[in-house]
Amino acid sequence: MCTMYCPRPVVDTYNERLDITRAPHIDYAQAIPSSYYIDARACLRVNYETCNLCAQTCTAGAIDFTEQPKELVLNVGAVVLAPGFGRVDEKVLEKFGYGRYPDVLTAFEFERLTCASGPSEGHIVRPSDNRPPKKIAFLQCIGSRDETCGNGYCSSVCCMYAIKEASVAKEHEPDVDISIFFMDVRTMGKGFDDARKRAQQKYGINVVRARVPRVDEVDGRLALTWTTGDGEHHSGLFDMVVLSVGLESPEDAGLISQVADIELNHYNFCRTSVDAPLVSSRNGVLVAGAFQGPKDIPESVTQASGAAAIASELLADSRNSETVTVTYPDEDKSLEEEEPRIGVFVCHCGVNIAGVVDVKAVRDYAGTLPGVVLYEDTLYSCSQDALKSIAEKIKDNRLNRVVISACSPRTHEPLFQETLRSIGLNPALVEMANIRDQCAWVHAQEPERATEKAKDLVRMAVAKARLLAPLDQPTVDVTPTALVIGGGAAGMSAALSIADQGYNVVLVEKGRSLGGNLKRLTWTLDGQDASMVLKDMVEKVKAHKNIDVLTSAKVESVSGYVGNFTSTISRGGKTEMINHGVIVLATGGREYKPKGYAYGESTRVVTQLELEEKLSRGKGFLKNARNVVMIQCVGSRGEDMTHCSRLCCTQAVKNALKLKDLKPELNIFIFYRDMRTYGFYEDLYREARRKGVKFIRYTLVRKPEVIKQPRGIMVKAFDELIGDDIEIPASLVVLSAGISPGENEELSRIIKAPLTPEGFFLEAHAKLRPVEVAVDGVYLCGLAHGPKSLEESVAQAKAAAAKAAIPLAKGKVAVAPIVSRVNQDLCIGCGICESLCPFSAITLEKVGKRKKAQTITASCKGCGICASHCPTIAISMGGFTDEAIMAQIHAFSPEGCKEG
Amino acid sequence: MSKIKGFCCNYTLSVDDDALRQEGLVPRGLEIERLPCTGRLKVPEILDAFAEGADAVFVVGCQIDKCHNLSGSYRASKRVKYVKEILKELDINPACVEMFFAGRGETEPVVAAARVMASMAEEGRDTDKV
Repeated sequence: MCTMYCPRPVVDTYNERLDITRAPHIDYAQAIPSSYYIDARACLRVNYETCNLCAQTCTAGAIDFTEQPKELVLNVGAVVLAPGFGRVDEKVLEKFGYGRYPDVLTAFEFERLTCASGPSEGHIVRPSDNRPPKKIAFLQCIGSRDETCGNGYCSSVCCMYAIKEASVAKEHEPDVDISIFFMDVRTMGKGFDDARKRAQQKYGINVVRARVPRVDEVDGRLALTWTTGDGEHHSGLFDMVVLSVGLESPEDAGLISQVADIELNHYNFCRTSVDAPLVSSRNGVLVAGAFQGPKDIPESVTQASGAAAIASELLADSRNSETVTVTYPDEDKSLEEEEPRIGVFVCHCGVNIAGVVDVKAVRDYAGTLPGVVLYEDTLYSCSQDALKSIAEKIKDNRLNRVVISACSPRTHEPLFQETLRSIGLNPALVEMANIRDQCAWVHAQEPERATEKAKDLVRMAVAKARLLAPLDQPTVDVTPTALVIGGGAAGMSAALSIADQGYNVVLVEKGRSLGGNLKRLTWTLDGQDASMVLKDMVEKVKAHKNIDVLTSAKVESVSGYVGNFTSTISRGGKTEMINHGVIVLATGGREYKPKGYAYGESTRVVTQLELEEKLSRGKGFLKNARNVVMIQCVGSRGEDMTHCSRLCCTQAVKNALKLKDLKPELNIFIFYRDMRTYGFYEDLYREARRKGVKFIRYTLVRKPEVIKQPRGIMVKAFDELIGDDIEIPASLVVLSAGISPGENEELSRIIKAPLTPEGFFLEAHAKLRPVEVAVDGVYLCGLAHGPKSLEESVAQAKAAAAKAAIPLAKGKVAVAPIVSRVNQDLCIGCGICESLCPFSAITLEKVGKRKKAQTITASCKGCGICASHCPTIAISMGGFTDEAIMAQIHAFSPEGCKEG
Repeated sequence: MSKIKGFCCNYTLSVDDDALRQEGLVPRGLEIERLPCTGRLKVPEILDAFAEGADAVFVVGCQIDKCHNLSGSYRASKRVKYVKEILKELDINPACVEMFFAGRGETEPVVAAARVMASMAEEGRDTDKV
């Protein structure tokens, strides 16, 4: 309402200034908090003390212009900085015609164009003439990997987002021709290379490896010129150019560093180190997300959890000292068992519903339905006042079933369930009819028929509500111990964090000593001595009173569920049983064992890790060396393994620099496909080029060959720039062997934790739950999850520790009330449900003479697979019983309702 | 279809004339010759273009004070003026040759020049017929 009446237009910054809104507005439909606010810079009341229209029209009386800014003082034990990233200066974009030519957009603007709730409702149109473009060019590395604008680093995310946006555009407009101009295609994230392949093969997106220097306009079309690796000049005309702008440090980074008293790095991001990636230079000030360095969503979410773990370590002593416990009245069982007395509340949702649907008519109609004793309409059911009045009305009228006819249960059901709980009703006794998203919004053009549909939805909800039954809300106690499997850098970091948070840890390592792959590393990427980092970690782990280290040990079996796991661990021929509440998987990975390239046939062919071992013993082996050749992507990206191993590029550059340090006259050649030195590692890549390391791109069609000769080794490869084969007599060939997954299959079977096709453990959700496994109480970090650097492993380990500590800290796990329930009289013990359950939440137990299925309620997610497959219909889902769903479906036809 | 010949400095025009013709942005009879600098363009070369059948010839160089080679486009403009004199003597419309200036890497002025010359040539042809 306020937005509707406001006379003051404002550019919509959420829609990248492509649209117009009003001074009072909500940034976007899913904004949190989901309430409107007034843009003080534009508001007439704030600036000129006139207008005041919005305050008068707000039916909820929520606009108060007398409020003043307040200064708050908070006492805290830790601060987490997560200010995100800043924008690349528009001056940088001007070089590419941005601001001069209307059809040159930033990728942020393009993203809004492709969005259904964006300014063009998802249609991709040129801002100049509102016509769909036929040819689109994406230019990468705008404001990144560019020293002329001061951003020498790689922004890490743009390659992937450009590919995503291009794919989305192709899905929307299959005929559009899209070219993406890359320097290197840096899709090093988990599963990202598959997305790139799909974009190229399925959507036919052109990948051009060239940097476009500028954008020119001819007759409303955009002219680009570029030079490819073979030295050929090309030019072409496009209808739209999208600039894939990078991520910069926040504009107020300087101010943040002053206020928080922390150091920044040379790019104005927060300074951290490889072994403590989430800790700033000041004790107690933590950092997460893009302020630590450019990164994508999964990594930001991971870091956020990791920072929470460190905060929780710092605050371990004061845990639970300032918490407030909510108490609920006992449930009124007798009322719940009475004949259904249904109350229907029909929500206006301001104008959202009432603007289309005749709410009063729906309300009166609800009154005619059987079992309904109270029917009312409310302006905003979800507002505090309305909830209070709903609660009172439920009490006064002794209602025992409630139908809220409003919006989506996904967003608002918990709110109404809470209301029921607060007055002693079981939360399962509320049902929602979504007459906003599924009716008023989608049928905005047909108010009369929408009203009819709203009536149908209410009738169906009432029919289901009659059959709702109260559900238990059981809780189970948690054993306050964590089992960490794997004693590498990730496992040790996770163990230390959980132990520092005050819980017991059993750390199981299959090898004879702790350390994992870190033992083979010589230097970290920021130049620290890896063995010192390792020693420090091992000492801390061994000295910690909460950590129990079991080396040369193996997990044989795991049974139980979140909070109550029991594992059998074999060690030196003996087995041991351990009770624990959570599991952290940190089983690590291995360096891939190369095939071909004369590996194993000559001592002059080694892997990067083997080179590091040589380097750690001194430079003696370089005495007669002249040429060193490194070959990237050995094993990775399509040879034996389909994934990109993410860190080999940086590792190769790091080792090349080390070799150059030891012997500057050494010729080093690196054969690569795409140099993926993302983030600040780009600095190393630049330094290597400056020091004369030669980088030569190869393609899968013409891979370099390592040829054994009577005297030494020859590397033969095709050089695109020369257009001919080159031969390099090599004193040493270093293969950048990728990272292959460890022996995860057995553990995956034991824990029922799914693996990716590559053999790494699969997280529950790539972006939202990056360190959790689909099985409750099992968490994931390090190379077991996918290839990553030491820095990323440590951050992820902290994140897993934070998540693992949640059930440990709560001491109890609440079980979602919607779980499967087996009627054991009907169960024939066939075991179909047990084999299908993706969460290992059903077991077969001997009951009397026969086996019967039994649900482990603590592990059940309520997905319903078991219920849908049970041949004897012995399984029902709480809240969605067959009878209730059938009643709802029958109620769809008005006749069915009369019968019912 | 009239035949138009353009001489362009390497620092103007960022797109190939092939691409421009394909997209229909310039008259089909246009042929563009790229030069390292218009300052190297000699009078006989311009006249040769006419001899080879061009209906109109134009030269596009850098803006006069921003020439990459300091005075290349200035020289070219002087030579174009001279060619105009010669054309007059030969009783050919001196407007058939023209000098244009464009900013660095700008394609638009080149396309505009080509169009001006093409329409001029078409007009000239019509009047010839009369």
